[in-house]
Amino acid sequence: MTQVTDTYLPVNAGRRTAVDRIQIERLSKSYGPVQVLKDIDIRVPEGCFVALIGPSGCGKSTLLRTIAGLERSTGGTLRIDGKVVNDMPPRKRDVAMVFQSYALYPHMNIEKNMSYSLRLRRTAPQAIRECIDGVARTLGLEQLLARMPRQLSGGQRQRVAMGRAIVRNPKVFLFDEPLSNLDAALRVHMRSEIRKLHERLKATSVYVTHDQIEAMTMADHVVVLRAGQVEQQGAPLDLYHRPANKFVAGFIGSPSMNFIEAVIGPDGRNAQFGGAQSQTLDLGPGRTLPAGTAVWLGLRPEHLRFQGGERGINAVVDSVETTGSMTFASIRVEGVEAMMLVSHAGVSSMRSGDAVNLDIDNEHIHVFDRKTERAL
Amino acid sequence: MNTLLRRFPRANAFEISLAVFALLYLLIFAGLPLIYNIVLSFQQVDLMEPATLLRPFVGLANYRDVFGRPEARQVLINTVLFVGLSLTLQIIIGFLLALLFAQDFPFASAMRGLFLAGWIMPGLVVGVIWKLIFAGDYGVLNHVLMQTHLLHEKIFWLSDPAWSLYAVILANVWLGVPFNMLLLSVGLAAIPADLYEAAELDGANPLQRFVGITLPMMKATLGAVIALGAIMTMQQFDLIAALTQGGPANSSQVAQFWSWQLSLQTFEVSAGSAVATLMLLLVLVVAVIYVRSTRNERMV
Amino acid sequence: MKRYILFVIALCVTAVYMFPLYWMYITVFKSASEMFQYPPSFWPQHPESHLWQVFSERGMGNFLWNSLVTACGTVAVTVFVGTGAAYALAFVQNRWTSFAIFTVLVLQALPSSLMVTPIFTAFKALGLLETPRLAVVIAQITKTLPFYIVLCRPSFVQVPRELRDAALVDGASPMRAFFGVILPLAVNGILVSAILVFLQSFGEYVYARSLILDDQYQTATVGLSAFVGATKIDWIGIMTYSAIFVTPILIAFMLLQRRIVAGLTAGALK
Repeated sequence: MTQVTDTYLPVNAGRRTAVDRIQIERLSKSYGPVQVLKDIDIRVPEGCFVALIGPSGCGKSTLLRTIAGLERSTGGTLRIDGKVVNDMPPRKRDVAMVFQSYALYPHMNIEKNMSYSLRLRRTAPQAIRECIDGVARTLGLEQLLARMPRQLSGGQRQRVAMGRAIVRNPKVFLFDEPLSNLDAALRVHMRSEIRKLHERLKATSVYVTHDQIEAMTMADHVVVLRAGQVEQQGAPLDLYHRPANKFVAGFIGSPSMNFIEAVIGPDGRNAQFGGAQSQTLDLGPGRTLPAGTAVWLGLRPEHLRFQGGERGINAVVDSVETTGSMTFASIRVEGVEAMMLVSHAGVSSMRSGDAVNLDIDNEHIHVFDRKTERAL
Repeated sequence: MNTLLRRFPRANAFEISLAVFALLYLLIFAGLPLIYNIVLSFQQVDLMEPATLLRPFVGLANYRDVFGRPEARQVLINTVLFVGLSLTLQIIIGFLLALLFAQDFPFASAMRGLFLAGWIMPGLVVGVIWKLIFAGDYGVLNHVLMQTHLLHEKIFWLSDPAWSLYAVILANVWLGVPFNMLLLSVGLAAIPADLYEAAELDGANPLQRFVGITLPMMKATLGAVIALGAIMTMQQFDLIAALTQGGPANSSQVAQFWSWQLSLQTFEVSAGSAVATLMLLLVLVVAVIYVRSTRNERMV
Repeated sequence: MKRYILFVIALCVTAVYMFPLYWMYITVFKSASEMFQYPPSFWPQHPESHLWQVFSERGMGNFLWNSLVTACGTVAVTVFVGTGAAYALAFVQNRWTSFAIFTVLVLQALPSSLMVTPIFTAFKALGLLETPRLAVVIAQITKTLPFYIVLCRPSFVQVPRELRDAALVDGASPMRAFFGVILPLAVNGILVSAILVFLQSFGEYVYARSLILDDQYQTATVGLSAFVGATKIDWIGIMTYSAIFVTPILIAFMLLQRRIVAGLTAGALK
C-alpha cells in the first residue's frame, strides 16, 4: 500500500486571522414542507478537521452539499472566510469535494481528471504539469496518469478523487463518506492517510461519515446530527465522556452504551432498578438528583467490571464471545428487559449461567432524564 | 430571478432555459394548431376568400354537416374495425414472435433484426409494395392463395368494396408487427427466470406456466402495447394513401384519412377540421390514459 | 435438436415476413412483359434493370435532394433544441418537469393527418407556403421533437448526477458542465436518436404532400405517390424508384440496428 510521501505539496498560505474559515449560523433547509436542516450552528476554525456524523437521513450530506453550494439553504447564513456565500455558485466558493462514488469523469484519463479545474481557470500548461506531477507523486499515482477511470481499482479511484481535490488548493476540503465503498482493511489505512494529508496541507476539512469510529479517530471537532438538528458538537473525547443526551451517548462508542431504566432513590444519591426496584446503584459523591426522577442509566460495556463482592449490579451471564483479543459477555439483569454487554480485553473465565456482580466507576455512570433524554 | 430560482433548488437558469426553449416551440407549433383546429371546426372556412385566421362563427353547423353525410357511418365503422382488428392481430402475432425469439437458437438476434427492417420502412413504400402484392389480376397473393386452395377465384383486394378495408388492415398489421414484437420482447425479458423454474418444480406444464405466469406478468406491457398501438394505428395515413385512398366508395375510408381528404383535396376545411377535432379528442384520451399509467409505474 | 427446429421455424417465419421486400427487389429486375405475367414469376427470367432510366426520367435526383434538405433541416433543429430539453428534463426532477414530460409524451400521439388541417390553414394565411420546404421542416419538427426528447432523455438519466456536482465544484459553470462533462457521455444516445429522426423525416409523407404545392420542391415520398393512381401502372418503375429510395435507409438501419434497439428499449416504454 502506498504511503503519503513527503514530497511536493501545495501548501495553504495559512492566513492567521481571527475569522473562522466556515461560519454556519442558524442554517435551515426545507424541501417544500419537509425541513431537512434546522437551525444549524457550527464554526470551523482554519485548519480544523470537522466530522459530521449521524444516522442515515439526519441531513449530514445535505449540510455538506449546502456548504459546497450544490444545495441552496432556505434560512440562516453561511460564511466562508467571513463572506456570506448563501447565493454564491459552487465554482466561486473555492471548495473541493471528494464524493462517495468518487465522481471521476469517465471520458477523461486520470491526468485530465485531476487537471480539469486548473484547465477551467486557464492555468498555464507548465504550471498544470508541475502541480499534477507533484500531487501524483504524493499519492502514488504517477503510473496511472494516462489510464482511464474504469481501468482503476476502487482504492486507486479514491486516491484520484483526493488528488483532484488537492490540486485545487482550496480553502475547504469536503468529504462525503469517501471511504464507505472501500473494503475494511483499506478503509483503516486510508483513515490515517487522509488525516496525515490534512495536517500536511494545513487544510480545513469537513468530513461526513456514518461511521463514528472514523469520526472519533480523525476529527478535531465532531458534530452529531439527528433529524436535521445538531445534537451535540465538541472534541471527540468530550462527546465520549460527557454526552449531552441519550442519543449521543448511544451513538458514540462501539460497542454502544448499555441503558437501564431506573428511578432515583429517596436520598437522591443512588438509582434503583431491576425487578421491583430491587437493585441499587450508588451514584457516588458529588451528584445529587431529585428523588423519584425516572431516568436512564448509561453504562458503557468497556467500563463495567466483573467484581467479586456485593457492591454493584447482580446479573447472570447469558453468553460469552471472544475474538481472542477481546471478550464480549451478554448478561441479564433480573427485571431489566434488554440484555447488557460487558467487554474487556483478553479472554474471560466466565461461562454461560454464571452469576456475577458488576462494578463500575462513579464517573463512568451516565444518567439521563427519561422524559427529556438529556444528561443529568 | 433569485426567488424564482429558489423554487428549483438544484437547477440553474441554464437548465431551465434549455427546456423552456423546446417547450415553447412545441406549445406554439403543436399546441396552437391543436386549439386552432377546434376553432376552425366552429367556423365557416372558405380558402378562396382572403387569408385571415379568423372566419365567421357557425356554431355546430360543421359537425351536423359531417354527421349528416352518407359516408359518416361507414367511416365510423371502418375506423373502429381498422383499429380493433389491426391491434388484435398485431398483438397476437407480435406476442408469438416475441415468444419465439425469446428462445435460444442460432441466428435468433440476426433474424429478429430483420423484422425491425419492416418498422423503419416508410409507410408509403410499404403501401406501394403491398399494392402490387394485392393486385387482382397478376398479384402474388392471389396466386399463393389459389395454389394452396384457400381461394377458388381471384379476389380484387383493393377494388372490391367487401375486401378493401381488410387488405389495408393486413398491410397495417405487417407494418405494426415489429414494434409490437419489440415491446413485448422487452416485457418478456423482464420476467425473472426463476419464476418459471419454481412453477416447473411445482408441476406446471408449459401452457399452465404461460397462463399463470407469463400473462399476468405481462399485464403492464400489454397495456402499453395496446395504448401505443392504438395511437399509432390512428396515426396511420401513408398506407391508405398508397393503397386505396379510402375507396372504393369509402369502403376503406377511415377518420384520419377522411379528415385530410376533406381539408386538402376537396378543400372543405370546415368539415375536415370537425372530423379532426373529434378524432383528436379520442387520441388525446388514449394518450393521456397511457402516459398516466406508465408514469405512475416508473418514478423516472 | 430443439434448437434446430426453432431455427427452422424462425427462418420460415422470417422469410414469410420479408417477402414484400423480396418482391420489391425482384420486380426491379423483371422485364415489362414478365411483370404482368400470371402466375407471377418468383425469380426474374431475363433480368434487366432500369435504374438510371427511372432515376432521371422521374427526376429522382431532385426529389431525393429535397428529401435530404428537409430531413437535414429537421434533424438539425430537432437535435439543437431537443438535446438541451432532454438533458433538462432528465436532471431537473420536480412537478414542473413531470408535467413537461407528460405534455411531450401526449403531443407525440397527435396524428399529422389531423394536425395538417390547422397547420395548412394557418400557414396559408401567414404566407409560409411560399417557402414550402421551410414549412415542412417547421411542421415535421412538431412530430420529431417529442420523439427525439423521449428517446434521448434516458441517455441523460444514465449519467450520474454526481458528475455534474463534481464539475460545478471544480469550477465549471452549469453550461460548461453540460458541454464538457455530461454531453460527451450522452453522445451515443444522441447519435442514435438523431439517426432515427433523420430516417423518420426522410420517409415522411403527410406534411410534404400537403404543404408543398410546387413540384420543384417536392420530396421523394410524394414523388413516389405521383406514380401511383394512373390507370396503367408502371410497376417496374415504381419498384425501382422504391428500391432506390429505400435501400440507403435499410443499409443505414442494418448497420446501426443493435444500437437502435438498445436505445429504443430504454426509451420506448417510458
